Amino acid sequence: MDPDRDDAARLRRGDTAGLTGLMGRHQDRLFRYLLRLVGEEAVAEDTFQQTWVQVAERIGRYDTSRPFAPWLFTVARNLALDHLRRRRPESLEEVDEPAAPAGAQGDPLAHAVARQQSARLANAVAGLAPLDREVLSLRFEEDLALPQLAQTLGVPVPTAKARLYRALARLRGRMLATAPAEDWR
Amino acid sequence: MSAHVKELLALAAARALDPSEAARVEAHLAGCAECARDAGEWRRLAEGLERLPTPRPSRALVARTVEAVEAHVAERTERAWNRAALGFLVAFAWTLAVLAWLVLDLLAGGLALRLESPIASTGVLYAAYLVAGWLTAGAAAVLLGRRRREEGRTV
Repeated sequence: MDPDRDDAARLRRGDTAGLTGLMGRHQDRLFRYLLRLVGEEAVAEDTFQQTWVQVAERIGRYDTSRPFAPWLFTVARNLALDHLRRRRPESLEEVDEPAAPAGAQGDPLAHAVARQQSARLANAVAGLAPLDREVLSLRFEEDLALPQLAQTLGVPVPTAKARLYRALARLRGRMLATAPAEDWR
Repeated sequence: MSAHVKELLALAAARALDPSEAARVEAHLAGCAECARDAGEWRRLAEGLERLPTPRPSRALVARTVEAVEAHVAERTERAWNRAALGFLVAFAWTLAVLAWLVLDLLAGGLALRLESPIASTGVLYAAYLVAGWLTAGAAAVLLGRRRREEGRTV
């Protein structure tokens, strides 16, 4: 049996051991996704906590015949977008001004990595709009195939494809503004 | 290079094309140096994205989250139990009320026959009994609710 479904069934019965299993398997990728989407560590932490509380609250509505991860990401996404809309109601497709690499604050290891070549890319990603960061994170970090990516975003596959291309093109434009493509490696 | 070709090259690097599209792109790249160079740039970008540092939630955050969820689940369980208890009590109270009506009617009828004199209407006695019972239960519920609010409980 799928361990996610098993643990979801336990959580539905009120057994919080089910939560431990679900969190153990999904907490890292969920946190990374939220951090990319909201762009601020403190907000990502709040949303992370709210997401798991919502999961416990709505677990009865989870269809166990489907994979757990897309449902989890949809719950997280709704909470994150609610937050972003409250903070900046005009548009989620506009760039964030603070362009610090997400997750680099106060972490010596992250600083060391940030000194390397990927810092330039992390900065460029952090400077993108939330919805651009989201689609890139889902594709390249969460490794979601296009149909699952579209399902998580709640859009048809061609729209997801167009959104992915647009985000890549904007990222490429930002990267080219800082260095020629030969230096990206 | 057309915008459509550029889009295909970017999506190919992102492995977001279906197999037939990907094959067409590969065939085109074999004979087009400009597109091959462009495809290389998209690939470098995609590889960089896959190698971005992975932030992880701190242990403190995970512990706080588990605590919050456990508190929520406990509250939800208590709420469900309270709902079930309330349903049972209401059903029990109605059953008792109907049974009491039958018993009271039987007793009052039998007593009236034995004494050979009419006593107060059974209906009035029963109504008084019912009102007194429900008023007592209502007062108890109000007092209990007030006490729970004072304890800061939300259920």
